[in-house]
Amino acid sequence: MRSLYIWLSRLIALGVVVQVLVIAWSAFDIYNKAGDGVPFTEDTERNIGAALHSVIGMMIIPVLALLFAIVSFFAKVRGGVALAWAVFGLVVLQIALAFASFAAPVVGTLHALNAFAVAGVAGMAGARAARPDPTLAAPARSSDPGVTAGA
Amino acid sequence: MTTPDDPAERATGSAGPDSHALSTAVSEAPESPGGAEAAGPGGRPWVRQLVRWGAIGLTAVLLGTLGYLWYDSRVPSTLSVMDMGYADWGGGAVPVGGHQHAGGVSVAGLTGPSGVPAVVVSLTAREESFALATGERVEGYTLNHASPGPEIRARVGDLVQVDLVNESVPDGVALHWHGVRVPNAEDGVAGVTQDAVPVGGRHTYRFVVGDAGTYWYHSHQVSHEQVKGGLFGALVVLPAAGSDAAGSDAGAASADVVAQVHTYDGRRTVQGATGERRVAAPSGVATRVRVINTDNGPLRVSVTGAPYRVVAVDGHDLHGPSDVTDRVVAVAAGGRVDLSVTPPVGGGAVRVDLGAGSSLVLGPAGASAPAAVTPAATLDLLSYGTSAPVSLDTGHFDRDFALTIDRWPGFLDGRPGLWWTMNGHFYPNVPMFMVREGDIVRMTITNDSGEVHPMHLHGHVALVLSRNGVAASGSPWWTDSLDVDEGESYVVAFRADNPGIWMDHCHNLPHAADGMIAHLAYEGYTTPYVIGGTADNEPE
Repeated sequence: MRSLYIWLSRLIALGVVVQVLVIAWSAFDIYNKAGDGVPFTEDTERNIGAALHSVIGMMIIPVLALLFAIVSFFAKVRGGVALAWAVFGLVVLQIALAFASFAAPVVGTLHALNAFAVAGVAGMAGARAARPDPTLAAPARSSDPGVTAGA
Repeated sequence: MTTPDDPAERATGSAGPDSHALSTAVSEAPESPGGAEAAGPGGRPWVRQLVRWGAIGLTAVLLGTLGYLWYDSRVPSTLSVMDMGYADWGGGAVPVGGHQHAGGVSVAGLTGPSGVPAVVVSLTAREESFALATGERVEGYTLNHASPGPEIRARVGDLVQVDLVNESVPDGVALHWHGVRVPNAEDGVAGVTQDAVPVGGRHTYRFVVGDAGTYWYHSHQVSHEQVKGGLFGALVVLPAAGSDAAGSDAGAASADVVAQVHTYDGRRTVQGATGERRVAAPSGVATRVRVINTDNGPLRVSVTGAPYRVVAVDGHDLHGPSDVTDRVVAVAAGGRVDLSVTPPVGGGAVRVDLGAGSSLVLGPAGASAPAAVTPAATLDLLSYGTSAPVSLDTGHFDRDFALTIDRWPGFLDGRPGLWWTMNGHFYPNVPMFMVREGDIVRMTITNDSGEVHPMHLHGHVALVLSRNGVAASGSPWWTDSLDVDEGESYVVAFRADNPGIWMDHCHNLPHAADGMIAHLAYEGYTTPYVIGGTADNEPE
């Protein structure tokens, strides 16, 4: 469960990186085509970058984040549950910000900022889970005897 | 899974002295702050377990709820519009039997009149590659090997007969006469008023045209793909021969230009040609430009080189239109405006700019046209022109409906996303507006969804009464395709005088495909057709 936790955190962080890549591709593709005189209207097909961004952002990352949040209960990572649910909450916020940005494009800056938060918190959770020696080993030793002592 | 249980068992096993456990945990805290942090809320193992399993339980509830919502959102493969959503009686009479599930008159019988048609057109639909007028190749759909399809012209009172053959459109086709008040069986909506015409099949439409104006026809089977791919054409109804209007400049066929605006494969075109299209027009003579927006987004039209007038909207003439110089006119998706444009006597040409690099240039041969200047302001039809008496009594309403559009996260046919809602419900749980023949109906359309929606009611034409509480003060504004923008609330009225089952949907066709479909149903009428089913009817 711990390794699954770690891998999910890495996949989510990786997903955010991929999102940045494809949306940059999409934006430059629009500039390129606009330079060639292609109009962008309600009747323009989304380019591949935008389509990928939508699928990854609306389907893949939310599913990963939900799995991550569930797995966190069983992964025995210190503070791991809170971090995983924070990631899930940030992903929900990210989608809300995306839709708000269609009506008010400047909100897109917050969408971009929040992307760093998603990747950062997921990365932090993964790093914490991946370094058991100083953090988890110590409390495991100190809490177990504590229970035994009480019993 | 067993390891995390161990502390819980130990904790319950030693439930008695948990005060010791607490004091131990507290006393240990200063020595190992990490440990205290790990212990979480309360620090006591059993509390920790309680919180943990409580959280797991809540997660299970969350997942269960999501699963149920997903399951519940799935649309059956066969669905009758008669069973779709819920009946809204609009404060009017509710029949004793309640819903008309018990039966009623089939709309299949509501066909056009028999007799000798004045206009006969054969249309053959194909899926094929074709060239735009300017040469670019497009993979799409054609009617008689052309897109836009043949222009149909008729005069008021004419019986029009259209024989539709589907040669090679795999999903089937159906033709809807957009804006024309046809009898219900001729409305061309697959799954509501007919079955989609399969490859090799044919269907005949017959109807009398009653209102002079600019209309269009388009497929209403998988419309979001077929219309986009080119399955549409213009329908122009001229005043009856010998009538007053027939002799006026507005009605004269010689000074009449159709401008269907359509985006093929990302290329904006007018009459199937990209870029600038030149039309010979004499100086000093008014030309009627019939702009038809066949796209999914609003079209902003600007005229440079001379003032213009908006002489008709959605096939209905405006009263007392005045010259416009500093405003663009917006055309809703599916909507039409007729502009009166007069090339100046000096010899120059007029540019009617249709956006995205597409324009019409009207003037004498060789005359130069000014570059497009697009004013920022938009002509407000609510106060354009002068008022005039209308043929609709708006002093009393038999039905009063509200249609509120919003957008919510949820599942649409099993797909998660942020979807359009109508009166708070996702498709197919959408309102069915119930009317009785002869009712005067008022409908308040409100949009809180963040995007503009071109609302289109089939088979009727509605009079705009007010927007955001401001009453219409210009010419009577009759419409069948009305752009309701974010934050706007329009009140419209119409007479329920055309029995049947009529779609009332968003004409941004991908929105309609995502469930922005309601319908108007007349008491005592029912449809034998189904969405899905053996004919694979898929109206949007």
